[in-house]
Parts: sequence; structure tokens; C-alpha cells
Amino acid sequence: MSSEMDNFIGLSAVLTGFNKSVLSPFLDPVDIKSEYLPFFKQKIAQESGNPNLVGQILEKYSSLSAQGLTPQQIGAAMLDPGNGADFVLACRKLIFMWYSGAWPTLIPANGSTPASTVSDMISAKSYTTGLVWQVMQSHPMGDSNYRYGYWAKAPASLSDYTGNGGK
Amino acid sequence: MNTKTYDLVIVGSGISGAIIAHQLGKQGKKVLILEAGQEVPVDRSGYMQTFYKANAKTPESPYPPTTQNPQASTPQNPLGLPNPALENVPRYTVLQINAWRKPDQCYFIYPPQPPGLTGDSQEAMFAFASSYERIGGGTTWHWLGTSVRLFPNDFELKTQYNQGVDWPGGKNFYQALVPYYEKATNEIGVAGDKEALDKLYTQFGVEPSGIYGANYNYPMPPIIDSMVDTAFGKVTSLTVDGIPVYTTPTPQGRNSLPGDRRQCAGNTNCIPICPIQAKYDATVTLANALQTGNVDIRYRCVASNIRVDDTTHEVTGIDYITYDDHLGPPTGSGTAVGTKYLLAAHAIETPKLLLLSNKNKSFPNGVANSSGQVGRNLMDHIMYLAWGLAKDPVYAYRGPLATSGFESLRDGAFRSKRAAYRIEIGNEGWQWAGNDPFTTLADFVFGQDNNQLNGDSVNQQGQPLRFNPALPANSQLFGEQLVNTLNGIYIRQIRLGYLIEQLPDPDNRVELSTEKDHLGLLRPQVTYRLRSNYERDAFVSAKQVSTEIFNAMGATEYTQTPPPPRLYGTPDQVTATNFQYQGQNFKFYGAGHIVGTYCMGDCKEKSVLNSRQQSWDHNNLYMVGSGVFPTVATGNPTLTIAALAFQAADNILADLTKTSTETEEALADVS
Repeated sequence: MSSEMDNFIGLSAVLTGFNKSVLSPFLDPVDIKSEYLPFFKQKIAQESGNPNLVGQILEKYSSLSAQGLTPQQIGAAMLDPGNGADFVLACRKLIFMWYSGAWPTLIPANGSTPASTVSDMISAKSYTTGLVWQVMQSHPMGDSNYRYGYWAKAPASLSDYTGNGGK
Repeated sequence: MNTKTYDLVIVGSGISGAIIAHQLGKQGKKVLILEAGQEVPVDRSGYMQTFYKANAKTPESPYPPTTQNPQASTPQNPLGLPNPALENVPRYTVLQINAWRKPDQCYFIYPPQPPGLTGDSQEAMFAFASSYERIGGGTTWHWLGTSVRLFPNDFELKTQYNQGVDWPGGKNFYQALVPYYEKATNEIGVAGDKEALDKLYTQFGVEPSGIYGANYNYPMPPIIDSMVDTAFGKVTSLTVDGIPVYTTPTPQGRNSLPGDRRQCAGNTNCIPICPIQAKYDATVTLANALQTGNVDIRYRCVASNIRVDDTTHEVTGIDYITYDDHLGPPTGSGTAVGTKYLLAAHAIETPKLLLLSNKNKSFPNGVANSSGQVGRNLMDHIMYLAWGLAKDPVYAYRGPLATSGFESLRDGAFRSKRAAYRIEIGNEGWQWAGNDPFTTLADFVFGQDNNQLNGDSVNQQGQPLRFNPALPANSQLFGEQLVNTLNGIYIRQIRLGYLIEQLPDPDNRVELSTEKDHLGLLRPQVTYRLRSNYERDAFVSAKQVSTEIFNAMGATEYTQTPPPPRLYGTPDQVTATNFQYQGQNFKFYGAGHIVGTYCMGDCKEKSVLNSRQQSWDHNNLYMVGSGVFPTVATGNPTLTIAALAFQAADNILADLTKTSTETEEALADVS
């Protein structure tokens, strides 16, 4: 049986489109996952009023992943409205958290003002590990590991950033 | 009580104060700097951590005191902005712009909107849109690094185009500044492409001898162009008002080679903070000044009053208040005494200090203010932003924030009718324009459409804006489809920023409000309008030119039309920088170029300073920084600020020598 963290990473990989090896590298001195899992559990319990919701989400993922489904099929099943609004919203917030390093608050549309999202940065570390910088084939603004002049050339391929090479 | 006497007392440790302290310190003059803000940190990692954690990555976000506190969020104050009345050294921040009608969140106080105005009224008041720092090293901590010179015609707008005013001496002022521009370029360590800039100067009719001294070149080779620059560089067939439009590499104050500081690593974060100090900031010069052994600096030391001798009208001292903790009580006070005095506290705090100093019998309206001009003619480069998606990937969000611009529209006959502008090309995608990458992320994760990529929006050219027509509007994506969609968008994002010259308007001004900060000092009241069609016509031009540029490069424009201005209502309802002109809705942004408020001029009745940056009213008082500019001109101001600081240093040194000689002669007479 998978551990809670295994399921958390597996689900996160399916929903974000990034490989597990990027979310949870073998050598992982940053270890953002250990910050995200308890934070996610706490926020979802608080917002949904259901302390077991994250457990149910991870169980569902565990069950689906045991069925040999594709990531696309698992993701679609996880985000099926039939799971309930809180369940699906929690999954969507998980995506946002991994990409941005921040926790989202959704602001509903109000008159002519469209629906929007306000984000609250979780930590300095979460900012620099946001997947959004990887998906744009770059680096976090303010945290470049590149060298002078890299910006004049095309970056490495997208799959090098998502870890989903060879597809 | 401070008992040491200095040759020069400086208020402010930004680029101007630091340059002058260094120049005088090298000559053995004794200098004291009073800095209101906190010390230059041992390293910048603390600032970086604050920046990383900040929700809004505004220009001020890394720096103390804190600009935002999510834990203090309330419905009335969602960002948790600090109360300026409780701060010892408050300053105006970008986050305060939308809170401009809330004195418990906004440092500036704004007069009430005159009644009965419409959204296109020239009398409509706006929030000022630019900010500054009050810390050791000053606002260069968050400057972009753009180091362009002004052109000769910038110095005589009145003579050439019958607009605004000339700088004292007009083109002669420019000529006198040329050697100081070279010094400034060396101090900042500008990386520049002389050949490309020569082409530009030639276009504007500048003689080669009027640009550089013999054998001059930039201290650093040019910063390499970004792929975004290359895409815009393909626009070669456009003309505006008969002037060809083409890109020019931007001279920049960042290292293209390793030197005393590191080589630029393209952190794409020059504003708010370069993590590795590849970008010059004034702490470099400040450290050199302190190294002379002749310069003292006192941090957390807030100048509060200038004393003037009633008979000679010379400044006799600058009073200050000290504090330890930013929110704590004052810890002491004193008076700094020198032979000469220099105000280098930027264009808001300098006039504030002059106006606060109203206890001197001969100057009841404030020091240096016999003309009544102190605080007047507040200016900025008012910015128009345009953004779009390039046809092919340009890989935005990489490299320094801006490495090229369209400079060729900075001067021309059109300037008799509408403002000139330089167009900055952004390498940061829609970060400024659309609060990306997070807004587009939220759009596709939660099915929103705030950046027009995930809905049914059509741009003004009639092009549908949904990024992937195969997807329904308000798609909520995950997995591979999310990856590919976000990637396809981010790597194509482009942005143009127009730095529109604003004319001096004496009624755009800094005054004293009745509200106080925590030290009991009155806070600035700011009146700010766009009263001239000269500026508004430039917005119309900018909008049209953007569309032409995007069309020429095959890009799709995503510039959003802002909502109409709302001048009346609750503080949460009113807009801050929205206006209407010729039936169109516009919103202006700040360039961070706070200019005017203690201008130089030809006569003491109409200006605060003479062309030597010396007060007309007080022989031993000088002022520097962009506050001395009579017009905002067409270039980012810092290089000119630095050049003027070198020039002022020479003036002060000459005057100190004269004072010393006069004193010796007087002593000889007595003996």
C-alpha cells in the first residue's frame, strides 16, 4: 500500500502534468513536498469543514492508480463533478499550489467584475520552486541559475523541464 | 548634540548623495550623511527572502519597512498595508495607489476631487503612480538600470517646440553636462553599444563632438539582446510622423563582464532587486565614499528642520530625529552642522523637508521657497502599456527586464503638438501588464478569463483572443494540456511600455498635509493631474503605434481597455489612474521617475535653484536628484541624476575652496 506522501506526489504529477521525479526528486534537499502536504491538508480541512477530505481524495487517487489507467484518465476521474464541488476544488487548488507556490482564494464574479483569484505566497521556498517557472522554460524571477547571455538562445526543450521526456 | 563640524552635511544616501560624498571625501573634505532609513545590509539575502515571500512583487516589496502583511488583512485593507501614522519612515508604495483615498493606508494625502467633473475632465485628480525607497542606498535598489542620456532638444523644449520650459541655458546646459555624463557612465559601469547609439544621436542632429569626449566608449560592452528584442527588431518598415521606427540596444547599468561586481545572470528581476548585484546600485558608491575615511553616515536619522540665519540667510544646521525600531519611539534628536548643506532626498522628501522648515523668520513659507516654487511641477513619465502574443516563441521571462527599446520617437517636429516617448521593450512577458504568470495560471486552472486567453474576447482589431480555439471558453485544464497551454502562452508574451513626457504644471505639487507620521512630521499632500492634451495626445499615439508594431510583427494584441474612470464614490469604488480622452478609456502607469518639485531655472522668482543646483535663497544650500529637472524629458533619469551630481560636486568643491579662502583672508585682516 502506498504511503500518503506517495499518493500525494502521484496525484500531484497527474494533475500538474509534471513528472514525479520533478515534484519529488531522488535527491531532494529542497523537499517542498513535505511543506505542501501538511499545508494542503490543513487548508482544505479548514476551507471545506471536512477534516477527512484530503484523505478521501488521496484514497480515490490510490484506487484509480491501481487500476492501470492513464494519467489522463485518472485526472479526468479525479476532477469529475460527481466527486462533489469541494473535492474537485481541492484538486484544482492543489494544481495552483504546485505551479505558483501560493495558496489561492477564489473571488466570485460581482456585477461587471469577473471572477478572479487572489494568491497568498506560502513561503520563500515555495515561490522559487513554483512549476510555473519551469513550464515557461525559464527560472523563478529573482532566482536564475543560468549564466550571462542565456536569454539570447532558445532554452532546453519543454520536456527537460517537466521531466516527461521521451513522450 | 553632535559637536563635530563638517564641510558638507548631506540628507540622503542615494545615488546623488553617495556620488557627492565620494567626490568630496576623495578631496579630503569632511562629510556627514543623514539617512532616514535603515542601514545597507551586510548582504542582500534578507531582502531576497522578503521578496520571495511577498504576495505582490512590487518595486518596494523586498525593502524595509514592510509594504504588505497578509496577516493584517481586513475587508477594508485586503493587502494589509501598514498605517503610515504608525511608521517612523513611511514612503509611498505602488500598493498604495489603489488605496489613495485611504489615509490610514496611504502615505500621501490627496485633496478631494473637485465636484462635477466628468471622466475626461482635465481637472480630474489622480493618484501619483510612482514610488521610492527610504533606505541606505536609496531608490537605485529598485531601479531598472536603463542609462540613457537626454538629448539636446530635451533641454530646450520651449525654444524648439514652444512647450514647457527650457533648462537654464538650454543646449548650453547639455554641452556643459557632456563630460559629467561620461563620469556618470563610468561610475555606474554602463554596458552600451556606442555604434548603435551614435546612429540615434545622429538622427537627432547631435554633433559627434557633442556626444562623447575623445576616444570615449562605454566601460562595458553591450548587454546581449534578448530573443524578445530580436522579434521586435524585425519591425523595420514602420514610420511614425515620418520618423522610422527601429530598435536600439539599451545602455544599461549592469555588468556584461565580470568586474568589481558579478556578471549579469539574467535573473529577470532588476526591479525590484538584483539578487547578485550585477546591476549597479548606489551602495557601491556609498561604500567607496565611506572608504575615503572622510565620510560619516548616520542611519535612522530623519532630517526634520533646516535652520537659517536670519541675517545672512545661510543655513546653519539641519535638525534630525533618531529612532531604533521603525515602529518604536524616537530615541533622540540633534542638529548637524556644516559649512555647506546638500539635500539629496529625492523629489518628495526634499520638498517636504523644505516646507517643514517654516520656523525661520525670513522664510515663513519654507526654506528656499521665496519663489513659492518648492513642491511644484511634480512630474513622471506617465506610461502606456501594450501587450500581446508573438506569433512564434520569444521565450519571455528571461534575461534582464529590458534590453532594447524604440528610441527613435524621442524627438521630432511632432513635439510641438504632442509629447514624445521612448518605448521600452519588456522581457518579462505580462508580469507587469497582466500580473502574470499567476493570472493566466489561475485562468486555466479555475476556468477564469482575466487575461482574455480563455474566453470570448475579441481585440480592437477584431481578432478572437482565445488561445486555443479548440478548447471551450473558461476551460479548466490539468495535466499535459495545462502544461502545453501555459507553455504556449508564456513563451510568446510580449510587452511595450511608453515613457510619455509630462509637461511641468505648477499645480501638480507636493504640499504639507495635516496628517503626521509616527515622528510627528507632517506627511505630503499631493495634487496630480494630466491637464495638457500634449500628454493625452501621446496616449492616443502610443495606442495606435502599438497596434501597428504588433501587426508588423504578426503578433496578436491583448492590451485590455481599462474600465472608465470613476471619480466619485467610496475609497474602494473610485479609480486611481483611469482617464478618458477622445472617447477612449486609458489608464496610466508610473515609470518610477519622480521629477520636478525643486527645479533649476534662470531666475529666482520662478525657480528654486540656479543652474549650479544651488538655492537662490541660501548660498550654502544645494539640492540634487531628479527634483532639479525643469522638465522630465525623454530618457530614464538616473544617468542624468548622476551626471548632475558630479557637476554639483565640482560646484560645491569650488565653493568650499572659495569659502576657505575668504575665511583665511578674513582672518588675515583681523590679525
